[in-house]
Amino acid sequence: MDRVKLVHENFLRRVAQGDLPQGLAPQGPLTKGQAVGIFRSGCLSRALDRVSRAMQARGTGYYTIGSSGHEGMAAVAAALRPDDMAFLHYRDAAFQIERARQVPGQTITWDMLLSFACSSEEPISGGRHKVLGSKTLNIPPQTSTIASHLPKAVGAAYSIGLARRYAPEHQALSKDAIVMCSFGDASANHSTAQGALNTAGWTSYQSSPLPLLFVCEDNGIGISTKTPKGWIAATYSDRPGLKYFSANGLDIYDTFRAASEAADYVRRHRKPAFLHLNLVRLYGHAGADLATSYLPKGEVEAEEANDPLLHSVRLLGEAGALPPEAALSIYQDTERRVEAIAAQAETRPRLHDAAGVMEHLIPPPRSNTLSVRPDANARTAVLGDEMKAMQSPQIMSRLINWTLADLMLEHEEIVLMGEDVGRKGGVYGVTQKLSKRFGRARVIDTLLDEQSILGLGIGLAHNGFLPMPEIQFLAYLHNAEDQLRGEAATLPFFSKGQFTNPMVVRIAGLGYQKGFGGHFHNDNSLAVLRDIPGLILAVPSNGADAAMMLRECVRLAREKQRLVVFLEPIALYPMRDLHEAGDGLWMRGYPDPDARIGFGEVGVDGDGDDLAIVTFGNGTYLSHQAKKVLEKSGIATRVIDTRWLSPLPEAALIEAIEGARNVLIVDETRRSGGVAEAMMALFAENGVRSMARVTATDSFIATGPAYGATMPSRESIIEAAKALVEKSR
Amino acid sequence: MKRAVVICPGRGTYNKSELGYLARHFPDADLLGAFDAQRAEMGQESLVALDQAEKFSLAKHTRGDNASALIFASSLGDFLSIDRESIEVVAVTGNSMGWYTTLACAGAASAEDGFRIANTMGQLMQDNLTGGQVVYPFMGPEWERAPDRLDTLMATVGDIAGREGCELYPSIHLGGMLVLAGNEAGLKAFEAAVEPVQGRFPMRLGNHAAFHSPLLAHVAKAGRDTLPVSLLRNPDVPMIDGRGEVWWPHAFEMADLFDYTLRTQVIETYDFTRAITVAAREFAPDLFIVAGPGNTLGGAVAQSLICADWQGLDGKGAFVERQESEDPILASMGLDDQRGLVT
Repeated sequence: MDRVKLVHENFLRRVAQGDLPQGLAPQGPLTKGQAVGIFRSGCLSRALDRVSRAMQARGTGYYTIGSSGHEGMAAVAAALRPDDMAFLHYRDAAFQIERARQVPGQTITWDMLLSFACSSEEPISGGRHKVLGSKTLNIPPQTSTIASHLPKAVGAAYSIGLARRYAPEHQALSKDAIVMCSFGDASANHSTAQGALNTAGWTSYQSSPLPLLFVCEDNGIGISTKTPKGWIAATYSDRPGLKYFSANGLDIYDTFRAASEAADYVRRHRKPAFLHLNLVRLYGHAGADLATSYLPKGEVEAEEANDPLLHSVRLLGEAGALPPEAALSIYQDTERRVEAIAAQAETRPRLHDAAGVMEHLIPPPRSNTLSVRPDANARTAVLGDEMKAMQSPQIMSRLINWTLADLMLEHEEIVLMGEDVGRKGGVYGVTQKLSKRFGRARVIDTLLDEQSILGLGIGLAHNGFLPMPEIQFLAYLHNAEDQLRGEAATLPFFSKGQFTNPMVVRIAGLGYQKGFGGHFHNDNSLAVLRDIPGLILAVPSNGADAAMMLRECVRLAREKQRLVVFLEPIALYPMRDLHEAGDGLWMRGYPDPDARIGFGEVGVDGDGDDLAIVTFGNGTYLSHQAKKVLEKSGIATRVIDTRWLSPLPEAALIEAIEGARNVLIVDETRRSGGVAEAMMALFAENGVRSMARVTATDSFIATGPAYGATMPSRESIIEAAKALVEKSR
Repeated sequence: MKRAVVICPGRGTYNKSELGYLARHFPDADLLGAFDAQRAEMGQESLVALDQAEKFSLAKHTRGDNASALIFASSLGDFLSIDRESIEVVAVTGNSMGWYTTLACAGAASAEDGFRIANTMGQLMQDNLTGGQVVYPFMGPEWERAPDRLDTLMATVGDIAGREGCELYPSIHLGGMLVLAGNEAGLKAFEAAVEPVQGRFPMRLGNHAAFHSPLLAHVAKAGRDTLPVSLLRNPDVPMIDGRGEVWWPHAFEMADLFDYTLRTQVIETYDFTRAITVAAREFAPDLFIVAGPGNTLGGAVAQSLICADWQGLDGKGAFVERQESEDPILASMGLDDQRGLVT
């Protein structure tokens, strides 16, 4: 049985017969004109759902997850302003349609149909993906399937208050705007959603401004799994820091009333609110999903009998806004109009090749007002006596600290956030004194939730800040990595570069902390960061490089709008000596603030042609130790520090090994899925015949004396190098 | 049944060859009489006399108080003449003062009330002549898309507007043309800044004021003081305004329509190109019908459709070919052969 057709025929028949579902009389602030407008948006949303299925049937459309049953979201849009940034649930076509009515000159029907057709002319994603979204309408595109857009909504809301103190050059949100995010009752259970809701409450509980409206669209079911009756209300009606509002989502008057009250509360008090709407899901989850295969037919029919458009017809009639026969005409005219437009939209061009799909993986550059490099007086005022210490070699953590200070001094839009980065100054002291020097607003001590930390960064970036979130340990990234993979990295891809979230994520990681921490503080897996399209991964091996690479990372984010991860090897933070105690050979002077190491520029030490050791991070340190021994053995060695691990600086690496008879890759990440795999492939494809690798084993890191047992060591590098050179002779 | 969007023209479309247009085409003598009764009350010359004058007088026929009424009546008369048995009007739009005609065609004002708005505003424009308009093309003779040239032109406008004593504003985006409004210094500066093209551009528009610019704020206010909101009512069909906004029947407040009509569109840029783009993409009509006298708006409609990349139209050649096919996309009622397609 075609439920879509049934719902349609029910509507036509019941309106014609005046057989409308009963409910409360229309009440609240909705005007007649607004009410009809909202009904029109609902009718358009419904017609688009139906036509999208017809397009799929004739092979011209590719998306059938609909918004039918959720038409009441148009009333939420009507209660907000078009400059209130909205992170939408995928069933919110009616919201976007209604918002399009608030901004003159929109062609929302055409745009939506182009998106069903995956046409390259579709204005938000260029036919890459079916998303709701619009730059003009302040709707950054989401897929929202697992509510992974909620943490950044929290971040965007937080940025509004921050921008009152430090207005960034590329500020996107007005100071009295609010942020809205929506999600289903099923995805409300997701840990990401829970984290965001918790963070919002935690923030509000301590009176930090957070103008954020959560909208839960509760249709009572997630694909085939029902939400326990009353679960959403029971869970959210009394949470600290979060004001609860609710409405019947089938009633546009009630929905508009509650949404207006909630939006007013959020705007006025700068505090988060939770708007709970009860509504229905018509036609199952998506085109191929038959709700009657897992729900009793009677239940499905009961939902269909509560078609929100039927409720609207009754309400509009009772309010004297529109007689039912006029409502019926609107419904029918809309459908005919959508069909006529679809016939044109489906003829428009589509993407065909990889180059077209990939065109916006990398965001466009943006111009910035030239920052004024702080003069010596300004630096002295902030750094004080430490200016003197810069004259002598220092450990890496200190050099990174000064680099951050100089960058924050130069670019006021830089904001740091992370666990213990503020008052404590980081668990390794890397962010020491920054909170005192630049204020707690720019060095934010967050709660213990990596998804929220990254979400805060992403959200701030939506409003023109340059966030530098810190993940305290690499092992803690993994619970939150989708914020980089599924959210931050996809934003330019889904939006043709119209929306961007440039930032530099600092992560302390990798192994070799002597006897401390084990796996959770010494994670040596980078695979999760290396296969995210568009993400830049940088790993320094010494303090001077770290300073110069971090400056380049900030430049890449600020000017090229890139998403950058700067991975700091923890074991090298305090490293002073290279060969023997007290030699001080791994400390470096603080590079001049103008000095940078360019993106893709590798480090080459030595020009030996017997052996090129290609490595990074701790491997660079160990390889320098090995080099001394190898050269004593008559093996002329050069050490190449790759520095940029994603994308690999392929041409620079090939150039760096030129003339070397043997190539040894030293990779502290695991043998499987580690960096060496890519390097081996690169060199093999480029005709390198004699090569070998020393990698970590496929193991987690141990605590105690065996902390380094699974990873490359000076000795294992020497051994492998000798064997390789010997073999080739 | 063909689905059509009707387009009402603006000033400058009733010229020498249109003399007698009302006599030839206006379908309802009583209605014309009612219009003239209004004009008599205001001490204006009758439309019948103007339309049937022996000679076309540039000074007389193109004055705001006469031209607005003549063009409104000619366009509305054409709209009423459309064969509604074979043509379904799915939306109405217009250019510049064509917005007033749009109100009447769509039913957002009765014919008489629509006339009162257009005629009163025409009189007010004439009584308060401020500044002028100049028109300049950015598309070439083959109507190829040229967004870069428009950008350059807009940059020039911005530059001149920043100069001491110069007032210059984009007045109308008119397909391949940019119409500018300004004071004398602003208009002169523009004329000096751009290269003369096609032997007639940049071209001043005689008897035109600085329409659709802040220079006419006082005229907009006079209109709001003179005309009551009660002249407006719910339309029967959607209207597309000079921002590309669609006014759907029942779905707005009358005060907002009043404010748009007698404030916003008088003092802000009128984007006819956007209106046609929205008409195409949001209604996908089988046919665009230009009501009213003359054929000058047809080119702007075609150019707007080219800008919107509508149905493969990428230049003048493709448009002419489409017009010569069995399925033309545009019917100008001011041209007898095309008029027959819709009446």
